[in-house]
Amino acid sequence: MFKILVVEDDRDLNRTVCSFLNGSGYEAVGRVDVNSAYDAMYGNAFDLIVSDIMMPETDGFEFAKTVRALNEDIPILFMTARDDFASKQRGYRIGIDDYMVKPIDLDELFLRIGALLRRAKIASSHKLEIGKLRLDMDERTAEYDGEEIPLTTREFNILYKLLSYPGKTFTRTQLMDEFWDPDTDTAPRAVDVYMTKLRGKFEGCGEFEIRTVHGLGYKAVLK
Amino acid sequence: MKKAKRHAAWSYFIAFFLLTAFVITSSMMLFLNYFAKSAGVEYTRSNLFTAALVTFGNAVFLALLCTGIDAIRRKLMVDRPVRAIVEAARRITGGDFTARISPKAATGASDGFEEIIDCFNTMADELAGVETLRTDFIANVSHELKTPLAAMQNYATLLQSPELTDDKRTEYARAITEQSRRLADLITNILKLNRLENQQIYPAAKRYNLGEQLAECLLNFESTWEKKDIDIETDLEEEVFVRSDDELLSLVWSNLFSNALKFTQTGGTVSVTLKTEGDMAVVRVEDTGCGISKETGKHIFEKFYQGDTSHAAQGNGLGLALVKRVVDIVGGEISVESEVGRGSAFTVKLRRAADGEIQKGT
Repeated sequence: MFKILVVEDDRDLNRTVCSFLNGSGYEAVGRVDVNSAYDAMYGNAFDLIVSDIMMPETDGFEFAKTVRALNEDIPILFMTARDDFASKQRGYRIGIDDYMVKPIDLDELFLRIGALLRRAKIASSHKLEIGKLRLDMDERTAEYDGEEIPLTTREFNILYKLLSYPGKTFTRTQLMDEFWDPDTDTAPRAVDVYMTKLRGKFEGCGEFEIRTVHGLGYKAVLK
Repeated sequence: MKKAKRHAAWSYFIAFFLLTAFVITSSMMLFLNYFAKSAGVEYTRSNLFTAALVTFGNAVFLALLCTGIDAIRRKLMVDRPVRAIVEAARRITGGDFTARISPKAATGASDGFEEIIDCFNTMADELAGVETLRTDFIANVSHELKTPLAAMQNYATLLQSPELTDDKRTEYARAITEQSRRLADLITNILKLNRLENQQIYPAAKRYNLGEQLAECLLNFESTWEKKDIDIETDLEEEVFVRSDDELLSLVWSNLFSNALKFTQTGGTVSVTLKTEGDMAVVRVEDTGCGISKETGKHIFEKFYQGDTSHAAQGNGLGLALVKRVVDIVGGEISVESEVGRGSAFTVKLRRAADGEIQKGT
């Protein structure tokens, strides 16, 4: 069972978030200030941290910085009333993984925690498994039903990205920025060619499908 | 005040006296000289003295008369309009924006008072308008804030009843969640608008790809259009760059998209286009929703103005006020075309950034 540390100075909010998470199949531990959160972390290995920013004494930025220095991989989610861009930017620069503005929707918190944990697992194992499909990031190989499907590096990277975030649509430009040389003269439409190739190569694969979203971009949908 | 008035009266009198004395003396001297030459009358000392005395008295009398007439003229043509203006200005200072000056207060057409009174009345009209907006705003804010609060309070009271079925309990709890979400949205918007209106904003100027921003922003609403089964049509010209504040502008797009999706029925269409017209980038967000009437269209960018006056539709009437404010800040233009029952189209025009080769230095 995943263990989640909730650092939030408002006791009511802390209690509701913890009992919600406990009721949703996680083991949540609530702490009302950063120092007691450090204490809790000594004896326990947590899989994810949910933290407020504005807290007495040490604030969330400081907390996240310290945690990041000790552990590069643990997902940190900020849950804060501050909705200005500067705070978000500062948070992400420190290395947090997600940011939610209060008042938060508990159902959404649940979805985001699920996504963060899944990505953390993919990130730490460098492997992705969906039904009979296996992708190995280190070897850059794709296997379906034990049979290797030959992919170019770029095809593999695009597929790995889409399957790491199932249901999320990426625009052509987002994919270009990530997988093409920044100096390339290729038009964003070149992405379309890769999608056609990938669809062709995984025609027999019933586990997922690459969908075009209204001329805006592409997403992988799991079945 | 009194002392100053007496002082002024004295100086008027002296001025008039000197004037009349001068005029009478000069005319007397001319007349007497001529008379003495033609009639050959000799002046005796005594009748000269009497004549001088009579002339002096005459001058004093005429000066008094002039001062009196001038005082009356002043009273009618200057004092009265001045008093009317001062009175009205005092009432406005005191917060009474209904104060107006009757144009009759200015009796002489040529002395400029009419113009002053006209200006004053226009100013009072404007102030009254602003005041109405302000009181309306407060009334609207309290209405919008209190309604969800009242609903939550009621549902919470209902929840305390011990003999409640599980279905009811879930329903009430869900209603509380819904209302608190509404309240949270409203407060977020009020704070944003307040930040935009009351603080000096220095919009960041960054050159970026507008089409990409529109696509990414639109994708945030993917779950909404899938849920409502709304068809999305996009026609985004590629490589359209603007130099502007991307964070502020994303507020514009997300508000326009969320409105379009909100007011379009299941199975409808929302289309987003980006085109260039000369050195302008033109974004058009069109829906096949309920549309808005001409009358509503005029006020749609005002705070808390909602097409549906019952406040029943979801939303809080701040979204488009925010949009308008941001478009003003970044120096763009926004317009709306709509037809009731057919749908609405919002058009935002922004100046394009100079082409690639020029920005190499950045």
